[in-house]
Amino acid sequence: MKQIAWISTLTAVVVLGLVVTGFPAEAHHSSAPFYDGDQEQEIVGTVLRFNFRNPHSFLYIQAENPAGQMVEYEVELGAAVSMSRNGWTRESVSAGDPIRAVGNPSRAEGTFGMCCAELTLPDGSPIQLVRLEVDEAPLGLVTLVPTASAEE
Amino acid sequence: MKDTSGSLLSGPFAYLAPTVVIFALAIGGAPTEVAAQAELAAVPDLVGVWNGGGRVRRVNGPNMPWVPGENFPVLNERALAYQEVFDEAIAPKYDCVPSASPALQYDPYFMEVVQWPDRVLLRYEKDDQLRTVWLDGREPPLNEHTIQGFSVGRYEGDALLVETTHFVFDITGFDDYNGIPSSQLKKVTERYWHEGEELRMTLTVEDPMFLREPASYTTRWLPAPEGYKLNPYLCDAVDARRAVKYMIPEYR
Repeated sequence: MKQIAWISTLTAVVVLGLVVTGFPAEAHHSSAPFYDGDQEQEIVGTVLRFNFRNPHSFLYIQAENPAGQMVEYEVELGAAVSMSRNGWTRESVSAGDPIRAVGNPSRAEGTFGMCCAELTLPDGSPIQLVRLEVDEAPLGLVTLVPTASAEE
Repeated sequence: MKDTSGSLLSGPFAYLAPTVVIFALAIGGAPTEVAAQAELAAVPDLVGVWNGGGRVRRVNGPNMPWVPGENFPVLNERALAYQEVFDEAIAPKYDCVPSASPALQYDPYFMEVVQWPDRVLLRYEKDDQLRTVWLDGREPPLNEHTIQGFSVGRYEGDALLVETTHFVFDITGFDDYNGIPSSQLKKVTERYWHEGEELRMTLTVEDPMFLREPASYTTRWLPAPEGYKLNPYLCDAVDARRAVKYMIPEYR
């Protein structure tokens, strides 16, 4: 009985797959001066590193550019304090992870930045983030409290 | 509100009124003074952590909270000239210079309010900022101008009124999006009150150096999830400026 309750609760609160949109509701600056909102670019590659910081996090992806060369893309994401309320941790993605990003390319010629990206696995399936028990609560507040259904 | 951490009071001034009355009588205070202080017992309880995130209100941007055709400020010639030559690349936020009034209040982050007898503390998750609103009638210190200014306040009816002056000149001091500066003449007034479970605020900014008339917006916060503590922001100046290289520069 106890085991069933624990498993049920764990399933409810710990892991959920999400299609993740970067540069969401925690604006520090407008994306328009830096990124072309009228263009959309898709890259599929490998995570090099993840800076989970404020005012913006950055995800570095090695992927092919439109000319077919392997380059390092710099994907600008939201503020770490806000992303953490949506289930992100600094371990959400790690070096070597395969990843796909679809977003707006940077404006300056010869640069490989991206913002406002939808992040998924290469096949389009969701990245696994920690599901929060309380929406927008920080991860530290996730508690394993048995639900009513788990008690039955 | 759920979170009263950091407050000396379980409800603001819950114990204060009788203390004030006794103290006033002991020193021979006039009945009107006693009555005025006794009103402290009725001050609104604003204590707690409040959610101002993007699911609570529309996220800030060039058209929010200053909406063209509605409450967007009427700029004078000086402000228009500044705006004309403004270069986004030099905006101080890319060096982690914190957001200030009237933009700070609308940044989509959480805020904590602490009410003490002589002050209200407004602590912002964004940029780790702390504003102190003095309730004790003190005067601004001479020759001290800061990015957050000097705030005094009072309770009036069911609301907290805050008036802030003594700002420094700020090249993007009106908001973070429209290249409008603010001067040492900037004056920001805020009124906070409860509307059901919401915390609401109407803010008015005046700055005769750049604005032809005052401009205002009203916004809201919702109670933060139970037990939520503000996270340190610890702005990283390298990451703050990282995306600037993606701009097509206006000046070379």
